[in-house]
Amino acid sequence: MRILIDAAACTGHGRCYSLAPELFEDDEQGHGRVVGDGSVPPELQAAAQRAETACPERAVSLLPAG
Amino acid sequence: MAHDTGGAAASFYDAAPMAFDRTEGWAYFRGPGDVYERDGLWYLTSPQAVRFAHQHPEIFSSAKAFDSLGSPVPLIPIAIDPPAHVRYRRLLDPMLAPRVIGGIEDELRRQVREIIGEFAGRGSCDVMADLAKLYPAQVIMTLFGLPLEDRDTFIAWTKVLVGSSGGGVGEATPEQMEAGLALFSYLQEYIDEKRATPADDMLSRVLSMEGEDAWTNEEILGLCFLFILAGLDTVTAAIGFVLRALGEDPGLRARIAADPQLTGPLVEEVLRLELPAPMTPRVTTQAVEVCGTTIPSGAYAFLCLATVNRQDRDHPDSIDLGAGDRGHMSFGGGIHRCLGSHLARRELRIVVEEWLSFIPDFTLAEGVRPAVHWPSGTLHYESLPVIFPATVAASPVGGAA
Repeated sequence: MRILIDAAACTGHGRCYSLAPELFEDDEQGHGRVVGDGSVPPELQAAAQRAETACPERAVSLLPAG
Repeated sequence: MAHDTGGAAASFYDAAPMAFDRTEGWAYFRGPGDVYERDGLWYLTSPQAVRFAHQHPEIFSSAKAFDSLGSPVPLIPIAIDPPAHVRYRRLLDPMLAPRVIGGIEDELRRQVREIIGEFAGRGSCDVMADLAKLYPAQVIMTLFGLPLEDRDTFIAWTKVLVGSSGGGVGEATPEQMEAGLALFSYLQEYIDEKRATPADDMLSRVLSMEGEDAWTNEEILGLCFLFILAGLDTVTAAIGFVLRALGEDPGLRARIAADPQLTGPLVEEVLRLELPAPMTPRVTTQAVEVCGTTIPSGAYAFLCLATVNRQDRDHPDSIDLGAGDRGHMSFGGGIHRCLGSHLARRELRIVVEEWLSFIPDFTLAEGVRPAVHWPSGTLHYESLPVIFPATVAASPVGGAA
Protein backbone atom coordinates (compact mmCIF):
# COMPACT_ATOMS: atom_id res chain seq x y z
CA MET A 1 0.00 0.00 0.00
CA ARG A 2 1.11 3.52 -0.82
CA ILE A 3 -0.20 6.91 0.34
CA LEU A 4 -0.54 10.08 -1.65
CA ILE A 5 -1.57 13.64 -0.74
CA ASP A 6 -3.29 15.77 -3.34
CA ALA A 7 -1.52 19.07 -2.58
CA ALA A 8 -4.13 21.06 -4.51
CA ALA A 9 -6.92 19.67 -2.34
CA CYS A 10 -5.08 19.91 1.01
CA THR A 11 -6.01 23.04 2.97
CA GLY A 12 -4.12 22.19 6.13
CA HIS A 13 -6.63 20.59 8.51
CA GLY A 14 -3.71 18.56 9.76
CA ARG A 15 -5.61 15.40 10.59
CA CYS A 16 -3.25 13.11 8.66
CA TYR A 17 -0.09 14.04 10.50
CA SER A 18 -1.93 14.15 13.83
CA LEU A 19 -3.36 10.66 13.42
CA ALA A 20 -0.48 8.98 11.58
CA PRO A 21 2.72 10.88 12.37
CA GLU A 22 4.79 7.92 11.12
CA LEU A 23 3.38 8.42 7.63
CA PHE A 24 2.70 12.16 7.37
CA GLU A 25 4.35 15.35 8.55
CA ASP A 26 3.44 19.02 8.56
CA ASP A 27 5.15 21.56 6.36
CA GLU A 28 5.65 25.26 7.21
CA GLN A 29 2.10 26.06 6.09
CA GLY A 30 0.68 23.35 8.32
CA HIS A 31 -0.24 21.34 5.24
CA GLY A 32 0.29 17.59 5.14
CA ARG A 33 3.26 15.97 3.49
CA VAL A 34 4.01 12.30 2.93
CA VAL A 35 7.05 11.01 4.83
CA GLY A 36 9.59 9.24 2.62
CA ASP A 37 8.31 7.54 -0.53
CA GLY A 38 4.84 6.98 0.86
CA SER A 39 4.98 3.23 1.09
CA VAL A 40 3.02 1.89 4.02
CA PRO A 41 4.39 -1.00 6.06
CA PRO A 42 1.74 -3.58 7.08
CA GLU A 43 1.70 -2.47 10.71
CA LEU A 44 0.75 1.09 9.67
CA GLN A 45 -2.04 0.22 7.27
CA ALA A 46 -4.74 0.91 9.84
CA ALA A 47 -3.18 4.30 10.59
CA ALA A 48 -3.09 5.12 6.88
CA GLN A 49 -6.77 4.25 6.59
CA ARG A 50 -7.60 6.45 9.58
CA ALA A 51 -5.83 9.38 7.93
CA GLU A 52 -7.69 8.82 4.68
CA THR A 53 -11.07 8.70 6.45
CA ALA A 54 -10.36 11.72 8.64
CA CYS A 55 -9.29 14.10 5.86
CA PRO A 56 -12.15 16.60 5.42
CA GLU A 57 -10.91 17.46 1.91
CA ARG A 58 -10.46 13.84 0.79
CA ALA A 59 -6.91 14.81 -0.13
CA VAL A 60 -5.36 11.58 1.19
CA SER A 61 -5.48 8.53 -1.09
CA LEU A 62 -4.41 4.95 -0.52
CA LEU A 63 -3.09 3.16 -3.57
CA PRO A 64 -1.93 -0.40 -4.13
CA ALA A 65 1.84 -0.72 -3.75
CA GLY A 66 4.00 -0.51 -6.89
CA MET B 1 -22.48 38.89 13.62
CA ALA B 2 -26.03 40.12 13.78
CA HIS B 3 -28.40 37.53 12.52
CA ASP B 4 -31.53 39.60 12.43
CA THR B 5 -33.74 37.98 9.89
CA GLY B 6 -36.73 39.81 11.27
CA GLY B 7 -39.76 38.11 12.78
CA ALA B 8 -41.99 36.02 10.58
CA ALA B 9 -39.67 36.22 7.59
CA ALA B 10 -37.38 33.66 9.21
CA SER B 11 -39.88 31.67 11.19
CA PHE B 12 -38.48 28.31 10.08
CA TYR B 13 -35.01 29.23 11.32
CA ASP B 14 -36.23 30.86 14.51
CA ALA B 15 -38.52 27.96 15.40
CA ALA B 16 -35.75 25.33 15.49
CA PRO B 17 -35.82 23.38 18.79
CA MET B 18 -32.16 24.12 19.45
CA ALA B 19 -31.88 25.64 22.92
CA PHE B 20 -31.80 22.50 25.06
CA ASP B 21 -30.99 19.74 22.63
CA ARG B 22 -28.87 19.97 19.49
CA THR B 23 -29.76 16.44 18.46
CA GLU B 24 -33.34 17.57 18.05
CA GLY B 25 -32.27 20.91 16.61
CA TRP B 26 -30.09 19.50 13.85
CA ALA B 27 -32.59 16.77 12.99
CA TYR B 28 -35.03 19.65 12.40
CA PHE B 29 -32.69 21.27 9.87
CA ARG B 30 -31.79 17.95 8.24
CA GLY B 31 -35.41 16.89 7.91
CA PRO B 32 -36.48 18.81 4.77
CA GLY B 33 -33.64 17.38 2.65
CA ASP B 34 -30.17 17.92 1.22
CA VAL B 35 -30.79 21.35 -0.31
CA TYR B 36 -33.90 23.44 0.36
CA GLU B 37 -35.26 26.94 0.83
CA ARG B 38 -37.32 28.33 3.71
CA ASP B 39 -38.35 31.97 4.11
CA GLY B 40 -35.87 33.07 1.45
CA LEU B 41 -32.88 31.37 3.10
CA TRP B 42 -31.24 28.30 1.61
CA TYR B 43 -29.94 25.33 3.58
CA LEU B 44 -27.34 22.79 2.42
CA THR B 45 -27.39 19.89 4.87
CA SER B 46 -25.75 16.82 3.31
CA PRO B 47 -22.03 16.01 3.06
CA GLN B 48 -22.22 16.10 -0.76
CA ALA B 49 -23.93 19.49 -0.87
CA VAL B 50 -21.63 21.13 1.67
CA ARG B 51 -18.55 19.62 0.05
CA PHE B 52 -19.67 21.01 -3.31
CA ALA B 53 -20.05 24.50 -1.83
CA HIS B 54 -16.64 24.27 -0.13
CA GLN B 55 -15.04 23.31 -3.41
CA HIS B 56 -16.70 26.12 -5.36
CA PRO B 57 -15.89 29.30 -3.44
CA GLU B 58 -16.33 31.31 -6.64
CA ILE B 59 -20.02 30.34 -6.64
CA PHE B 60 -20.58 30.29 -2.88
CA SER B 61 -19.05 33.64 -1.96
CA SER B 62 -17.85 34.16 1.58
CA ALA B 63 -17.06 37.84 0.92
CA LYS B 64 -20.68 38.71 0.14
CA ALA B 65 -21.93 36.85 3.21
CA PHE B 66 -19.56 38.60 5.63
CA ASP B 67 -20.07 42.11 4.27
CA SER B 68 -22.54 43.15 6.92
CA LEU B 69 -20.70 42.48 10.19
CA GLY B 70 -19.94 45.29 12.60
CA SER B 71 -16.47 45.65 11.19
CA PRO B 72 -15.30 48.93 9.68
CA VAL B 73 -12.77 46.97 7.57
CA PRO B 74 -13.08 43.81 5.47
CA LEU B 75 -12.51 40.74 7.62
CA ILE B 76 -9.34 39.11 6.35
CA PRO B 77 -9.26 36.45 5.07
CA ILE B 78 -12.86 35.20 5.52
CA ALA B 79 -14.48 38.13 3.70
CA ILE B 80 -12.10 37.76 0.77
CA ASP B 81 -12.87 35.62 -2.26
CA PRO B 82 -10.38 34.07 -4.66
CA PRO B 83 -8.02 35.00 -6.17
CA ALA B 84 -6.94 37.56 -3.50
CA HIS B 85 -7.69 35.03 -0.76
CA VAL B 86 -4.76 32.76 -1.57
CA ARG B 87 -2.23 35.51 -0.89
CA TYR B 88 -3.52 36.05 2.63
CA ARG B 89 -3.66 32.38 3.48
CA ARG B 90 -0.18 31.78 2.13
CA LEU B 91 1.09 34.38 4.61
CA LEU B 92 -1.20 33.52 7.52
CA ASP B 93 -1.26 29.72 7.52
CA PRO B 94 2.39 29.43 8.58
CA MET B 95 1.74 31.74 11.54
CA LEU B 96 -0.90 29.37 12.91
CA ALA B 97 0.68 26.10 11.85
CA PRO B 98 0.97 23.36 14.50
CA ARG B 99 4.71 23.87 14.88
CA VAL B 100 4.15 27.55 15.75
CA ILE B 101 1.40 26.72 18.24
CA GLY B 102 3.76 24.13 19.74
CA GLY B 103 6.18 26.95 20.46
CA ILE B 104 3.70 28.82 22.67
CA GLU B 105 2.10 25.76 24.28
CA ASP B 106 4.01 26.11 27.56
CA GLU B 107 2.88 29.70 27.92
CA LEU B 108 -0.72 28.80 27.07
CA ARG B 109 -0.63 26.00 29.64
CA ARG B 110 0.78 28.31 32.29
CA GLN B 111 -2.08 30.73 31.70
CA VAL B 112 -4.77 28.04 32.03
CA ARG B 113 -3.24 26.81 35.27
CA GLU B 114 -3.24 30.33 36.62
CA ILE B 115 -6.90 30.84 35.72
CA ILE B 116 -8.07 27.47 37.11
CA GLY B 117 -5.88 27.91 40.18
CA GLU B 118 -7.92 31.01 41.04
CA PHE B 119 -11.09 29.04 41.68
CA ALA B 120 -9.98 25.43 42.25
CA GLY B 121 -9.91 26.05 46.02
CA ARG B 122 -13.45 27.44 46.07
CA GLY B 123 -15.39 24.24 45.39
CA SER B 124 -17.59 25.86 42.74
CA CYS B 125 -17.34 28.10 39.73
CA ASP B 126 -19.11 29.23 36.61
CA VAL B 127 -17.16 27.58 33.80
CA MET B 128 -18.16 30.31 31.35
CA ALA B 129 -17.46 33.42 33.46
CA ASP B 130 -14.44 32.09 35.35
CA LEU B 131 -12.62 30.27 32.56
CA ALA B 132 -14.22 29.99 29.13
CA LYS B 133 -14.71 33.71 28.54
CA LEU B 134 -11.28 34.66 29.85
CA TYR B 135 -8.86 32.16 28.40
CA PRO B 136 -9.48 32.51 24.62
CA ALA B 137 -9.16 36.30 24.95
CA GLN B 138 -5.82 35.85 26.68
CA VAL B 139 -4.67 33.47 23.97
CA ILE B 140 -5.45 35.94 21.17
CA MET B 141 -3.82 38.75 23.14
CA THR B 142 -0.75 36.57 23.70
CA LEU B 143 -0.58 35.74 20.01
CA PHE B 144 -0.83 39.42 19.08
CA GLY B 145 1.48 40.61 21.85
CA LEU B 146 -1.13 42.77 23.61
CA PRO B 147 -0.90 43.36 27.38
CA LEU B 148 -3.07 40.92 29.35
CA GLU B 149 -4.07 43.74 31.75
CA ASP B 150 -6.37 44.98 28.98
CA ARG B 151 -8.19 41.65 28.90
CA ASP B 152 -11.46 42.69 30.49
CA THR B 153 -11.87 45.81 28.33
CA PHE B 154 -11.01 43.75 25.31
CA ILE B 155 -13.64 41.16 26.23
CA ALA B 156 -16.26 43.89 26.82
CA TRP B 157 -15.77 45.30 23.30
CA THR B 158 -15.89 41.94 21.63
CA LYS B 159 -19.05 41.01 23.52
CA VAL B 160 -20.90 43.95 22.00
CA LEU B 161 -19.33 43.41 18.60
CA VAL B 162 -20.33 39.78 18.35
CA GLY B 163 -23.65 40.42 20.05
CA SER B 164 -25.97 37.82 21.46
CA SER B 165 -26.62 36.42 18.03
CA GLY B 166 -24.62 35.86 14.92
CA GLY B 167 -24.62 34.51 11.41
CA GLY B 168 -24.23 37.43 9.07
CA VAL B 169 -27.70 38.52 7.97
CA GLY B 170 -28.59 42.12 8.67
CA GLU B 171 -26.82 45.38 9.37
CA ALA B 172 -24.55 46.16 12.31
CA THR B 173 -26.26 48.01 15.17
CA PRO B 174 -25.01 51.45 16.34
CA GLU B 175 -23.65 49.79 19.51
CA GLN B 176 -21.73 47.29 17.42
CA MET B 177 -20.29 50.07 15.26
CA GLU B 178 -19.24 51.96 18.38
CA ALA B 179 -17.53 48.96 19.99
CA GLY B 180 -15.94 48.19 16.63
CA LEU B 181 -14.47 51.68 16.45
CA ALA B 182 -13.22 51.59 20.05
CA LEU B 183 -11.45 48.31 19.36
CA PHE B 184 -10.21 49.72 16.06
CA SER B 185 -8.46 52.66 17.77
CA TYR B 186 -7.08 50.46 20.55
CA LEU B 187 -5.53 48.10 17.99
CA GLN B 188 -4.30 50.96 15.84
CA GLU B 189 -2.22 52.21 18.76
CA TYR B 190 -0.45 48.86 19.08
CA ILE B 191 -0.04 48.54 15.34
CA ASP B 192 1.80 51.86 15.28
CA GLU B 193 3.93 50.81 18.23
CA LYS B 194 4.84 47.43 16.78
CA ARG B 195 5.57 48.92 13.40
CA ALA B 196 8.13 51.18 15.10
CA THR B 197 9.49 48.53 17.50
CA PRO B 198 8.76 44.95 16.37
CA ALA B 199 8.44 42.30 19.09
CA ASP B 200 8.20 38.50 18.94
CA ASP B 201 4.49 38.19 18.18
CA MET B 202 2.19 37.55 15.26
CA LEU B 203 1.16 41.18 14.80
CA SER B 204 4.80 42.25 14.57
CA ARG B 205 5.50 39.50 12.04
CA VAL B 206 2.63 40.59 9.80
CA LEU B 207 3.74 44.21 10.13
CA SER B 208 7.30 43.39 9.21
CA MET B 209 6.41 41.96 5.81
CA GLU B 210 7.90 43.91 3.00
CA GLY B 211 7.59 44.54 -0.72
CA GLU B 212 4.58 42.96 -2.39
CA ASP B 213 3.81 41.01 0.80
CA ALA B 214 3.48 44.19 2.88
CA TRP B 215 0.08 44.71 4.53
CA THR B 216 -1.82 47.99 4.67
CA ASN B 217 -3.19 49.25 7.95
CA GLU B 218 -6.69 48.40 6.84
CA GLU B 219 -5.70 44.82 6.06
CA ILE B 220 -4.05 44.38 9.44
CA LEU B 221 -7.07 45.73 11.27
CA GLY B 222 -9.28 43.42 9.24
CA LEU B 223 -7.15 40.50 10.31
CA CYS B 224 -7.28 41.53 13.97
CA PHE B 225 -11.06 41.84 13.79
CA LEU B 226 -11.43 38.43 12.29
CA PHE B 227 -9.27 36.84 14.99
CA ILE B 228 -11.43 38.46 17.61
CA LEU B 229 -14.72 37.53 15.99
CA ALA B 230 -13.66 34.01 15.09
CA GLY B 231 -11.24 33.10 17.85
CA LEU B 232 -12.96 34.17 21.06
CA ASP B 233 -16.60 33.16 21.09
CA THR B 234 -15.96 29.88 19.36
CA VAL B 235 -13.34 28.61 21.79
CA THR B 236 -15.34 30.00 24.72
CA ALA B 237 -18.30 27.98 23.50
CA ALA B 238 -16.29 24.81 22.96
CA ILE B 239 -14.78 24.97 26.45
CA GLY B 240 -18.31 25.10 27.85
CA PHE B 241 -19.44 22.17 25.72
CA VAL B 242 -16.52 19.89 26.56
CA LEU B 243 -16.67 20.61 30.30
CA ARG B 244 -20.41 20.06 30.34
CA ALA B 245 -19.90 16.67 28.68
CA LEU B 246 -17.32 15.73 31.31
CA GLY B 247 -19.28 17.18 34.22
CA GLU B 248 -22.37 15.19 33.33
CA ASP B 249 -20.71 11.87 32.77
CA PRO B 250 -18.56 10.24 35.48
CA GLY B 251 -17.89 7.30 33.13
CA LEU B 252 -16.41 9.62 30.54
CA ARG B 253 -14.22 11.30 33.17
CA ALA B 254 -13.02 7.89 34.33
CA ARG B 255 -12.10 6.84 30.80
CA ILE B 256 -10.10 10.01 30.18
CA ALA B 257 -8.40 9.68 33.58
CA ALA B 258 -7.46 6.06 32.81
CA ASP B 259 -6.20 6.92 29.34
CA PRO B 260 -5.24 10.59 28.86
CA GLN B 261 -4.58 9.81 25.17
CA LEU B 262 -8.36 9.89 24.79
CA THR B 263 -8.40 13.64 25.39
CA GLY B 264 -7.83 14.25 21.67
CA PRO B 265 -10.75 12.03 20.56
CA LEU B 266 -12.95 13.56 23.27
CA VAL B 267 -12.26 17.07 21.97
CA GLU B 268 -12.96 15.94 18.41
CA GLU B 269 -16.25 14.30 19.36
CA VAL B 270 -17.47 17.32 21.30
CA LEU B 271 -16.52 19.55 18.36
CA ARG B 272 -18.41 17.21 16.04
CA LEU B 273 -21.62 17.32 18.09
CA GLU B 274 -21.59 20.80 19.58
CA LEU B 275 -20.43 23.26 16.94
CA PRO B 276 -19.84 26.81 18.13
CA ALA B 277 -20.38 28.02 14.53
CA PRO B 278 -22.71 25.36 13.12
CA MET B 279 -23.83 26.98 9.86
CA THR B 280 -21.51 28.93 7.60
CA PRO B 281 -23.15 31.69 5.54
CA ARG B 282 -22.47 32.11 1.82
CA VAL B 283 -24.07 34.10 -1.00
CA THR B 284 -24.33 32.58 -4.45
CA THR B 285 -22.79 34.51 -7.34
CA GLN B 286 -24.77 32.59 -9.97
CA ALA B 287 -27.59 30.07 -10.23
CA VAL B 288 -26.24 26.63 -9.37
CA GLU B 289 -27.60 23.09 -9.18
CA VAL B 290 -26.62 21.22 -6.03
CA CYS B 291 -27.82 17.67 -5.36
CA GLY B 292 -30.56 18.07 -7.96
CA THR B 293 -31.94 21.39 -6.69
CA THR B 294 -31.30 24.74 -8.36
CA ILE B 295 -30.30 27.59 -6.07
CA PRO B 296 -30.79 31.02 -7.68
CA SER B 297 -28.09 33.65 -8.04
CA GLY B 298 -27.73 36.03 -5.09
CA ALA B 299 -29.22 33.53 -2.64
CA TYR B 300 -28.22 33.62 1.02
CA ALA B 301 -27.24 30.05 1.86
CA PHE B 302 -26.26 28.24 5.04
CA LEU B 303 -23.75 25.41 4.83
CA CYS B 304 -25.00 23.22 7.69
CA LEU B 305 -21.79 21.74 9.03
CA ALA B 306 -23.64 20.43 12.08
CA THR B 307 -25.99 18.20 10.08
CA VAL B 308 -23.11 16.85 7.99
CA ASN B 309 -21.33 15.77 11.17
CA ARG B 310 -24.21 13.55 12.23
CA GLN B 311 -24.51 11.51 9.05
CA ASP B 312 -23.05 8.12 8.10
CA ARG B 313 -22.06 7.11 11.62
CA ASP B 314 -22.78 4.26 14.01
CA HIS B 315 -23.48 6.64 16.91
CA PRO B 316 -24.37 9.90 15.17
CA ASP B 317 -25.76 11.74 18.18
CA SER B 318 -23.54 10.77 21.10
CA ILE B 319 -19.88 10.95 22.04
CA ASP B 320 -18.10 7.94 20.57
CA LEU B 321 -14.46 8.03 21.64
CA GLY B 322 -13.68 5.10 19.36
CA ALA B 323 -14.74 7.20 16.35
CA GLY B 324 -12.97 10.36 17.51
CA ASP B 325 -10.51 10.11 14.62
CA ARG B 326 -13.11 9.85 11.88
CA GLY B 327 -13.06 13.54 11.11
CA HIS B 328 -15.80 16.16 11.03
CA MET B 329 -16.70 19.41 9.33
CA SER B 330 -16.73 21.68 12.36
CA PHE B 331 -13.80 23.73 11.08
CA GLY B 332 -15.36 24.02 7.64
CA GLY B 333 -13.54 23.00 4.50
CA GLY B 334 -12.12 24.20 1.24
CA ILE B 335 -10.19 27.45 0.98
CA HIS B 336 -11.83 29.01 4.05
CA ARG B 337 -10.99 26.07 6.31
CA CYS B 338 -10.71 27.56 9.81
CA LEU B 339 -7.36 29.29 10.01
CA GLY B 340 -7.27 28.86 13.78
CA SER B 341 -8.14 25.17 13.97
CA HIS B 342 -4.72 24.08 15.20
CA LEU B 343 -4.76 26.76 17.86
CA ALA B 344 -8.33 25.93 18.91
CA ARG B 345 -7.60 22.21 19.20
CA ARG B 346 -4.52 22.91 21.31
CA GLU B 347 -6.40 25.32 23.58
CA LEU B 348 -9.14 22.76 24.15
CA ARG B 349 -6.77 19.90 24.84
CA ILE B 350 -4.79 22.02 27.32
CA VAL B 351 -7.98 23.15 29.07
CA VAL B 352 -9.25 19.57 29.49
CA GLU B 353 -5.87 18.30 30.69
CA GLU B 354 -5.35 21.09 33.18
CA TRP B 355 -8.95 21.14 34.38
CA LEU B 356 -8.83 17.43 35.16
CA SER B 357 -5.47 17.78 36.89
CA PHE B 358 -6.93 20.40 39.26
CA ILE B 359 -10.54 19.18 39.34
CA PRO B 360 -10.80 15.47 38.49
CA ASP B 361 -14.34 15.21 39.84
CA PHE B 362 -17.10 17.73 39.30
CA THR B 363 -20.78 17.95 38.47
CA LEU B 364 -23.17 20.57 37.19
CA ALA B 365 -24.69 22.57 40.03
CA GLU B 366 -28.07 21.23 41.12
CA GLY B 367 -31.00 22.10 38.89
CA VAL B 368 -28.82 23.49 36.11
CA ARG B 369 -30.06 22.73 32.62
CA PRO B 370 -27.65 24.47 30.26
CA ALA B 371 -29.25 26.09 27.22
CA VAL B 372 -27.85 27.89 24.20
CA HIS B 373 -29.42 31.08 22.94
CA TRP B 374 -31.46 30.60 19.76
CA PRO B 375 -31.84 31.98 17.10
CA SER B 376 -28.16 32.68 16.82
CA GLY B 377 -25.33 32.10 14.40
CA THR B 378 -22.97 31.04 17.16
CA LEU B 379 -23.97 28.69 19.96
CA HIS B 380 -22.68 28.81 23.50
CA TYR B 381 -23.79 28.64 27.11
CA GLU B 382 -24.04 31.96 28.90
CA SER B 383 -23.39 30.25 32.20
CA LEU B 384 -22.35 26.79 33.37
CA PRO B 385 -22.20 26.54 37.18
CA VAL B 386 -20.34 23.48 38.47
CA ILE B 387 -19.43 22.15 41.91
CA PHE B 388 -16.49 20.03 43.00
CA PRO B 389 -14.42 19.10 46.05
CA ALA B 390 -12.19 22.12 46.69
CA THR B 391 -8.58 21.37 45.77
CA VAL B 392 -6.32 21.87 48.76
CA ALA B 393 -3.99 24.84 48.33
CA ALA B 394 -5.38 25.32 44.81
CA SER B 395 -2.82 23.08 43.19
CA PRO B 396 -3.34 20.20 40.79
CA VAL B 397 -4.25 16.86 42.29
CA GLY B 398 -1.28 14.51 42.50
CA GLY B 399 1.09 16.90 40.77
CA ALA B 400 3.54 19.62 41.66
CA ALA B 401 2.16 23.09 41.06
